[in-house]
Amino acid sequence: MTKLLAAVLLTLLAADTAANVTGTWNMGVQGGHVVPVALVLTQDGKDVTGTIAMPTQHAGERKEVTLKGALDGKALSLSGTVDGAADPTTIEISGTLQDDGTMEGTLTINGSDRHSAPWTAERLKERK
Amino acid sequence: MKPLSRRALLRGAGATIALPLLEAMRPVRASAAAQKVVRLVCIEMVHGAAGSAAIGARKNLWAPAAAGRDFDLAPTSLRRLAPFRDHLTIVSNCDVESADPFTASEIGGDHVRSSAVFLTQSHPKQTEGADVSAGVSFDQLYAQRFGQDTALPSIQLCIEPVDQAGGCGFGYSCVYTDAISWATPTRPLPMIRDPRIVFDRLFGAYGSGASPEERRARRREDRSILDWVLRSAERLRRDLGPSDRVRLNEYLDQVREVERRIARVEASNASGEPRDLPDAPAGVPDSFSEHVALMFDLQLLAFASDVTRVVSFKLGRDNSNRVYPESGCSGPFHNASHHGGREDRIDDFAKINTYHVGTIAYLLERMSKTADLDGTLLDNVLVLYGSPMGDSNMHNHKRVPFFAAGHAGGALKGGVHVKAPAGTPLANAMLTLLRRLGLDDLPAFGDSTGALGL
Repeated sequence: MTKLLAAVLLTLLAADTAANVTGTWNMGVQGGHVVPVALVLTQDGKDVTGTIAMPTQHAGERKEVTLKGALDGKALSLSGTVDGAADPTTIEISGTLQDDGTMEGTLTINGSDRHSAPWTAERLKERK
Repeated sequence: MKPLSRRALLRGAGATIALPLLEAMRPVRASAAAQKVVRLVCIEMVHGAAGSAAIGARKNLWAPAAAGRDFDLAPTSLRRLAPFRDHLTIVSNCDVESADPFTASEIGGDHVRSSAVFLTQSHPKQTEGADVSAGVSFDQLYAQRFGQDTALPSIQLCIEPVDQAGGCGFGYSCVYTDAISWATPTRPLPMIRDPRIVFDRLFGAYGSGASPEERRARRREDRSILDWVLRSAERLRRDLGPSDRVRLNEYLDQVREVERRIARVEASNASGEPRDLPDAPAGVPDSFSEHVALMFDLQLLAFASDVTRVVSFKLGRDNSNRVYPESGCSGPFHNASHHGGREDRIDDFAKINTYHVGTIAYLLERMSKTADLDGTLLDNVLVLYGSPMGDSNMHNHKRVPFFAAGHAGGALKGGVHVKAPAGTPLANAMLTLLRRLGLDDLPAFGDSTGALGL
């Protein structure tokens, strides 16, 4: 009986602390320098949807790209298509949720060329 | 002789010149000494420092390793201030969270938003319209309390162009990039880049009677503003004691010397030779160090004549790709600041930081040689220098570079490096400084959470 209770408690605890990436993330994409990018995610079960505000060639402008993917354990994978790009362009994001609550991974842009860059992200402390 | 008024002027047709503090103004001197009239200079150098990056911090490229009084400036970007270490209050390890993004749409706007935060420590409202909002800036809080007896409560100066209109990207008005002084949360004050305009502002502060056309005509004739007040100066000299005569002559020589330098720059820039800064006004030197020195000398004249006691001075722009050849770094500023976390490039960026801080050594040197009430001007001034950005490569606002110089009329002992606990808002240090300057009833400043012991 005691073992059964312990097992139930552990299961409940695991469910309670299951990784969840819902929220706004301040993502730093490492190009020549670290470019801050907004990543907004919503998680439903394993499914993750959201947007990334990608910088454009025009300074100060961003292009929002819709993302879909999943969080499997602590492994995040997302992809999306850049609407209106001259060449068909997709964005792929892979990453891992870290124990300290941050994330890190690789962002790949598949367009006329393929570019990959490492990234890290921390949750935005949203304030008014 | 009847005591001379502190507001006595040299007057001529089309010119007025405020006077320096003289022995003949003794009652005023006594009153000023009692009031401890502290002059304030707030200097923003944009876009962080190499010493705010992880490698740079380990190498003490900005802040010294030791806190307290036994600090070593040698590895730091402050090393050229070593002759003035007893006048330095270095504050390290502070953050400027109000420059952080607060919402998703604000992420990425650090360059555009930061300058508005430096002296307000308040989070700017994201808008490209006229409904801009930040906070009342450090210099303006001081000017509103202690700058009301002078012809100009304060003056705002800059080195780079700040004349952009509309939005500067990421949903922010260019005003946030172009202004560091805010009279109210919704009223940013424009900054002056052209030394000629500063000169005319200082020596027209009491109403020169000369129109801009007349001033231009005077310059065409290669005549000095002093030519207009010769008789007035001569009359005054007759009534002054020997030391006051020397002081007056020195002061008028300084006015003339600055005026000549501006005229020389204008003539050179009008010669038709290609300029490094082709879009800059004629009065702006192409050389950064020459421009900065000229602006500092104008500030010294402003303090000497008591036309104003409060200056804010913006030395750069985040996105500037200006090259500073004298720094020893051949790369442009913005590129150098985005060092990619590479040690060699961090060292290069530190050279630019060191060069920028080195320009302050000129100001402090001049102040240390300027006699003032019970001491030198350096004893009675507070110079703030810092940036709202920390690690420019990361665009973060942590461990921002900051120091104060001067004894602020005895309010700051100096000769100390205060290493704040991690996460301390820079606003806490600024709150302490404002209270020391006499705003001791100020409950808070910007996003301060308390006062930092300095």
